[in-house]
Amino acid sequence: MLESSFALFTGRLAKSLPLPMKNEESRPRIDLVVFIIHLTSELSFQSAEASLKYLDPGYFLGKVCFVVTNARNASVPAERLDAVRKLAASLHCPLLCAEDQTPDGVTNAAERLLTVLKVAAGLVPMATALYLSNLTRCTVPSDIEPAEL
Amino acid sequence: MERQSSVARTPLNSVLVQRRRRRSSSKNHRQSYRSCVGAASHLSYTPGLTTRRLTTSRRAPKSRTITEKVNPEQLSLLVRKEWQLSYVTPLCRFRHTRLKSYSRQLSAFLVADRQQGVAVEVEGPESSFKVSFCVVRGMAETDSDAETVLIQIHSKSWFAGQDEPQRLVWSGWLTCVNGSPDYLRSLPQDFVCLPLFCSSGAERLTSSVKSWFQRTFDCCFGPLEINSTNLQWLAALWTNCHPESNIQHLKLTWSLPVAPPLEVTCTVHPQDAWELWRSVREQPQEEKENGGGGGREEEGSVGIEEVTRFMKGLRSHFYRHFRLDLSAGGLKQVSTALGSAKHRGRIKISNSSYMSATLMLLTECALLKMPI
Repeated sequence: MLESSFALFTGRLAKSLPLPMKNEESRPRIDLVVFIIHLTSELSFQSAEASLKYLDPGYFLGKVCFVVTNARNASVPAERLDAVRKLAASLHCPLLCAEDQTPDGVTNAAERLLTVLKVAAGLVPMATALYLSNLTRCTVPSDIEPAEL
Repeated sequence: MERQSSVARTPLNSVLVQRRRRRSSSKNHRQSYRSCVGAASHLSYTPGLTTRRLTTSRRAPKSRTITEKVNPEQLSLLVRKEWQLSYVTPLCRFRHTRLKSYSRQLSAFLVADRQQGVAVEVEGPESSFKVSFCVVRGMAETDSDAETVLIQIHSKSWFAGQDEPQRLVWSGWLTCVNGSPDYLRSLPQDFVCLPLFCSSGAERLTSSVKSWFQRTFDCCFGPLEINSTNLQWLAALWTNCHPESNIQHLKLTWSLPVAPPLEVTCTVHPQDAWELWRSVREQPQEEKENGGGGGREEEGSVGIEEVTRFMKGLRSHFYRHFRLDLSAGGLKQVSTALGSAKHRGRIKISNSSYMSATLMLLTECALLKMPI
């Protein structure tokens, strides 16, 4: 739970989507859906991909964010990070790299997510989630995509 | 509120950190390996129009009588020993003709190191080092590959007689097997590219040899890990050799990120592994025949989808029996009767017939990991 001067943000974790039906009435409005992908495990990426199908398309207008951890790890095959980038770029969502092994890293990641969350919740005047996502969306440089000759 | 730094460092003792890659400067007229092959640096944007080409298919290794090309005595020094891998940047002004003088320089360097009190005593102060450099001809696959160089350090006690045998205390070799021809041709004249360095012996001697090389040839060494994708390639390529020479077992080790860390070793009977591999390879051929069109897949080439399907088959079999999803962890070790490979960068080749395919894969890893 993060407190700012005038609003209270609550975060909840789920292993995969769809969320269980029984809590549906009492669930508060969801402002931001963050997919946290651990690059060291293949399963993490696959379950994130599978969960995407269950998300209402309205969320993709700026209310979805991808966070990857362990991007610097030498044991991660390069293809996995590229695959996540391509996925984030195709959905027009921002991609954040986070460091989860130190408390500093976790705090930094949380602060960056908070910035995105404030806009997605409509708390920042003159900025909407869709506008911000246009500025922060992940792009894949042309040398990663296969060239069409 | 004070702005915190937005970059957090990973504690180095817990994970292996990749070297940060620099942008390839446009002032370099020499092409970086990455712009030739097209593997984009994924931490910084590489300018220029290059395509990334993952190696999606490799030639399946065939039993080659490598003894025809390589001296069997030298070959026996290379097989059946576990080597620690590193990558080396191209060596400046290395001449294959000056190996004798290099041996003398290196043994003088080792003696000087020891006199400074820095070197660890392998045998005690009474022993001397005898270094020998020699060329192992025949390992190169293409014309642009440089010849492999083998370095051996023997130690002999001062007080021993002439006929007392010298003990091999350290050996290492530099090799380049089927390196990317574009990259090799783009190197300036003075440079020799031998990107794969294998060493076996005392760690202190390894670092002394590396520092001598760095001083003499202005190169850089670095650790080479074999990531899980390449371990999967090795598992599939070795299994592919089963009909020609029995692999005896296919042993795979995964490590799962639980507390305490769990290591799962799965030993597959060779016939089962072969059956699974054959069924994975037969599928696309059937589809192509049914489709009635398209080019035939080149005989003897293995694609990355086949490797992925093979590993997925093994993992789902494990899941069916043990309810444990191995894709949550990472593949750390592969071993068969033909050789074994560990994620940390250790390789052992037990059968010389399939050596070149393994070395080709490792050379490619080394070239990709090199920072220039």
